[in-house]
Amino acid sequence: MKYITSIENQEFTIEILDDRKILFNGKEMSVDFESVSGGPVYSLLIDGKSYEAYIYPVEGDWEILIEGRLYPVRVEDEREKRLRAASGGRVAESGEFLLKAPMPGLIVSVPVSEGQEVKKGDVLLILESMKMQNELKSPRDGIIGKIRVKAGESVEQRQKLLSVV
Amino acid sequence: MFNKVLIANRGEIAVRVLRACRELGLKTVAVYSEADRQALHVRYADEAYLLGPAPSRDSYLRGDKIIEIAKKCGAGAIHPGYGFLAERADFAQEVLDAGIEFIGPKPSAIAAMGDKIVARDTVAKAGVPVVPGTEGIGNMSDEELLAVAPEIGFPLLVKATAGGGGKGMREVRSIEEMPALLQSARREAEAAFGDGNVYLEKLVEGARHIEFQILADKHGNIVHLNERECSLQRRHQKLIEESPSPFMDEELRQRMGEVAVKAARAVEYVNAGTIEFLVDKDKNFYFLEMNTRLQVEHPVTELITGIDIVKEQIRIARGRPLGYAQEDIHINGAAIECRVNAEDPYNNFMPSTGNVSHIIMPSGPGVRVDTGVYPGFTITPYYDPMIAKLLVWGETRAQAILRMRRALEEYRIVGVRTNIPFHQTMMDSHRFMAGQYDTRFVEERFSMEEIEEGKEVHPDIAAIMATLAAHRKTEEAAHVIRRAERDTSNWKWVGRWERLHR
Repeated sequence: MKYITSIENQEFTIEILDDRKILFNGKEMSVDFESVSGGPVYSLLIDGKSYEAYIYPVEGDWEILIEGRLYPVRVEDEREKRLRAASGGRVAESGEFLLKAPMPGLIVSVPVSEGQEVKKGDVLLILESMKMQNELKSPRDGIIGKIRVKAGESVEQRQKLLSVV
Repeated sequence: MFNKVLIANRGEIAVRVLRACRELGLKTVAVYSEADRQALHVRYADEAYLLGPAPSRDSYLRGDKIIEIAKKCGAGAIHPGYGFLAERADFAQEVLDAGIEFIGPKPSAIAAMGDKIVARDTVAKAGVPVVPGTEGIGNMSDEELLAVAPEIGFPLLVKATAGGGGKGMREVRSIEEMPALLQSARREAEAAFGDGNVYLEKLVEGARHIEFQILADKHGNIVHLNERECSLQRRHQKLIEESPSPFMDEELRQRMGEVAVKAARAVEYVNAGTIEFLVDKDKNFYFLEMNTRLQVEHPVTELITGIDIVKEQIRIARGRPLGYAQEDIHINGAAIECRVNAEDPYNNFMPSTGNVSHIIMPSGPGVRVDTGVYPGFTITPYYDPMIAKLLVWGETRAQAILRMRRALEEYRIVGVRTNIPFHQTMMDSHRFMAGQYDTRFVEERFSMEEIEEGKEVHPDIAAIMATLAAHRKTEEAAHVIRRAERDTSNWKWVGRWERLHR
């Protein structure tokens, strides 16, 4: 199986030959890849070199944490890559964004109102949890859709809070 | 003299106090909330009693229940740890009234240092420098403020009396721009708090937060155990502490140490306490506040002085005089503490809750971990997000930094996101290595994305690992479907498939 893997604007071609062999940008390498105690921590032995990383699946992509550095990684096979190229690669920038509570807590304030225009990085809502006030920010430009909570309300983890369209 | 101690706290600090008691041969009593039935402090103590439901106000803040439990089980002393009831003068008084020893200062000292204005006044009278300002004077008109401003000196800050969070705060560089800034500060304060009153405070530029640990016995002996550098903070939460401070010289240390002892003496302080100072880039220092309790970062001082501060607290409470004088206290090597929190440094330090399924703790030479978390522990939103304090000692500061890098990379915590990558990035930062940082460094000039020159990165390895993980995931999904085709019961494979994708 051949994959095109990208990190920010770097691209790698990685072909899985079998359990122990890959072609990395055309170069054959021996790999031994194991999960440590079933968790997100993985150990990789590659041509004798030993690495350990946390591997997190995040909304179809991957986050790899190695030696205190986080690499956001997209892994696609050739078909997926063609499809995305055809759609212009702007999937993440359109459609409704639904803000959900990342943890249980108390809504301190909602500094936006329905119909308001927001920019990427604007604070949408302040949630208090673990004695800290946390600012939840907009991941992109857009307009505030329905707001489902108000200040003073307690919310559960993953509860829908508001949408950006 | 008491021989059974109740620890009115939870988490790592409860475990820390339990350890000191055990080493001194004292019996221990833990108290806990419903969320903490399985916590380490409950399991390590000789006795444990339930306080109530998880929220602090129903459990760890129930001073009345705690005193009742202490009386019932015959505990002769209560150690409050930090946070919760540790700085409540009324609680300390109630403990004493119940005939129980309070392992901490006298209620009068807690009260004097707890009120910011009284504390400033008290230490200023004793000749301790405070940040010049008008906070203690009360509400003043614009004319009065403009008249007093040159005495304080520029640059200065206009701050809202009812304030917090930077609302109604203005930086003023000259008397000319002050009237307009006063107006806008008052407007903003009025809008935010419904109170337009403001006060002036000298702006301490390039400020460092440096504190002095003191110990005072019941016989009038007070010593300081040198400084802790705590400038690396985010939203007033300390993240990294070290001792000695790379900013300190012997002359300044001696002067600040003497002033710290003087401040403690001004309130007839007994037991362990900490005097916090702001120090500007020209080495002028100002009293900030006194913490009348054990501090989170006390082990930093323990590592460089060899003094067990918690044991000293207990000895002092039992009436023993200090066994050493100021000249017997020396700094040996350097120590650093990183607070490991359940916070995602890549996502605005958002708290991360969940079950910690797996932990590999760093160990080996010069490493100390104080924690209350173990595999299977659930990080809840009820209490603070600290998982552990990771400390290292080194012969020099450079050795300590290298050791901290090694220990941080060994630490594996599975189940929640942690700020370990933040600490790793900081330990690699040239500014940190050079000791060139102040209290605004983390918030204003530090970035998780920046890569220091010479730092090895591994995008190729990350790409390979992500690809192998993605490939394995696809294969596993395919595998289940193939197996299902052979299965006699379709319901069985539906169940399996669902379990796999839950």
